[in-house]
Amino acid sequence: MTEAMIRKKAGMASVKDMPVLQDGPPPGGFAPIRFARRIPNKGPSAMAIFLATFGVFSWGMYQVGKGNKIRRALKEEKYAARRAIIPMLQAEEDERFVNEWKKYLEEEARIMKDVPGWKVGENVYHSGRWMPPATGELRPDIW
Amino acid sequence: MTSTVDTAGEPVPTSSLLMAAAKHIGTKCRGENLAFLKCKKDDPNPEKCLDKGRQVTQCVLHLLRDLHQNCSKELDAYAGCMYYHTNEFELCRKEQKEFEKACTL
Repeated sequence: MTEAMIRKKAGMASVKDMPVLQDGPPPGGFAPIRFARRIPNKGPSAMAIFLATFGVFSWGMYQVGKGNKIRRALKEEKYAARRAIIPMLQAEEDERFVNEWKKYLEEEARIMKDVPGWKVGENVYHSGRWMPPATGELRPDIW
Repeated sequence: MTSTVDTAGEPVPTSSLLMAAAKHIGTKCRGENLAFLKCKKDDPNPEKCLDKGRQVTQCVLHLLRDLHQNCSKELDAYAGCMYYHTNEFELCRKEQKEFEKACTL
């Protein structure tokens, strides 16, 4: 039925006198709620954090230095092996080059034998030092 | 390539064999190497340093032949490992240690 029939009070004159129906706190009120900040102030200090960072960084750089020393030793080993071998390789290449150069000079003499005033052999630069041949004729397999 | 010699039994101076024997070459043929390099520094003309170059080649080939006679198995293993790993010393430490134990420097 209507609300007045349910909630009526004895001797009520109008609907405006109905007792209120509210949702309210329990008797005695609610428990108190904490809303204040409580950020704890413990833990490492600034100096402690800085020293830990500096310590970790320096230990890392020490490891980097150790690794660099090992790598440099490996590279030095490879370079020493190359230094030991290179005279042999250069000597073999010199033999091959001298033979090729002789054949080249003979070919040049054959081609230019009718040209007057042509000094066969070497007409390279005037500085007096020996320069390797600049053309690609001697090693056509490479060029 | 499992063998370092050609058909006549002579060691072929390939890059892996030379790098494997580099420490021996560096100590035993040091005089010839230095003489050849000094000759080259004075005059880079290859015809002028042919005799010293021949000495270098003979020294190295004799050394390779001696190494092949004394410790051929370890030398073959080491040179084969060098060939497989393209002359990386760090990847052939085991064979290098056995080779240097067999044919000491």
